[in-house]
Amino acid sequence: MKIAQFQDIHRAYKKGVDVLAGVSFGVGPGEIVALLGRNGAGKTTLIRIAMGMMEAQTGSVRVFGLDPRKDAVEVKRRVGYVSEDQILPPFLKVSQVVELHRGLFPTWDDDLARRLGARFAIDPEAKIKTLSKGQARQVALLCAVAHRPELLILDEPAGGLDPAARREFLETSIRLLNESGTSILFSSHYMSDVERMADRVVMLEGGRVLIDSALDDLRESYSLALITAGPEVTRERLLGLAGCLAVRQRAGSLHAIFQLDPEEAREVLDSALGIGDMRTTSIALEEMFIELLGGHGVEATGGPP
Amino acid sequence: MQLHIVPGGELPIYRQIMHQITDAIAGGRLSRGDKLPSQRDLAEQLVISPLTVKKAYDELEREGVIETRRGRGTFIDAAAEAVDPARQRRRLRGDVRRLLIQAHLAGVPLADVRRLLSEVAKEIQAERRGV
Repeated sequence: MKIAQFQDIHRAYKKGVDVLAGVSFGVGPGEIVALLGRNGAGKTTLIRIAMGMMEAQTGSVRVFGLDPRKDAVEVKRRVGYVSEDQILPPFLKVSQVVELHRGLFPTWDDDLARRLGARFAIDPEAKIKTLSKGQARQVALLCAVAHRPELLILDEPAGGLDPAARREFLETSIRLLNESGTSILFSSHYMSDVERMADRVVMLEGGRVLIDSALDDLRESYSLALITAGPEVTRERLLGLAGCLAVRQRAGSLHAIFQLDPEEAREVLDSALGIGDMRTTSIALEEMFIELLGGHGVEATGGPP
Repeated sequence: MQLHIVPGGELPIYRQIMHQITDAIAGGRLSRGDKLPSQRDLAEQLVISPLTVKKAYDELEREGVIETRRGRGTFIDAAAEAVDPARQRRRLRGDVRRLLIQAHLAGVPLADVRRLLSEVAKEIQAERRGV
């Protein structure tokens, strides 16, 4: 059974403007799934729907097979949640915030909370408002994981953190996953974190799932071809080739993404168009994000030659 | 043995792990019977998904390079000779190809590349003797 399952989720904020226009995917046991997309792609909306904080207009979401709206208490007890814009009560002490959460979760693990507290080295007597951004996020993480959730949902958890704090956050998440078999659903704009952590990547665009793939497959079966544009070599012709997913024009050259490995892409280009001047490479997630989601259609070809 | 992974590098992380382990066997830094870190420990050490480590170990086990003994851990099962030399050569071929393309683009003739190769090989030998 899937830990979380989204089925054909639709959600519009304004009538006729769909943020989510039929999104389906699942998170399996022990799996780490990264939710990617540009700002406004609907990642946070989707996460809020999973948390029962918002409702889908049509479609269904199940977490542990339960409905996050109808079985809100049960679902919340088994989920840990941290978001970038989460606000902890500023005038409470760290110890009071921890105590507050402790009371909410029957499965709270005092020993784990103590270990994390010691590891983060945050003064329990400090008021939340005196903490740095990184420390406040660590308190939020402690509160989100000390009940050993079966699913950890992180909405841009690393936003605004320095690289050391980010790494520490990831380490804590991995350790929790190891100890408790927790599944993780997270959204992030840090592609190096995603490359490091994710088993599977779900890329949202235009309210739909553009890509839902194991990260390793994405890395091994996609490639980027850089080609010099010419009268015979146009965006349209490339888009007509087998395996070509997207083409961007960048001043005089064309960037084409193929769902083929680099050697295969080279062969397709060579045999179809007889292109000699090109480079095909495997593609890191960051480039794939930019090529697939970074603006559509033909870009201005102006600028210095 | 220390593993070093590069997220977003040319190869997926599970392949980086596989290659570093087989390279270490071929180079004599790991030998039959040596114990590998547990999947969990390695995931925490490298700060990567435990399923990625599992995938690397599963593939290596399928290839007969490592062996998991229930309750005891994971061990190197292949002798250095057993690490398929043809396969190692195929992998190196890609690196050589990249090197030669770089040389070609930089206008460095093949004879100079050959000379460079033997110079660097000597350097490495000297370093290894020094250790």
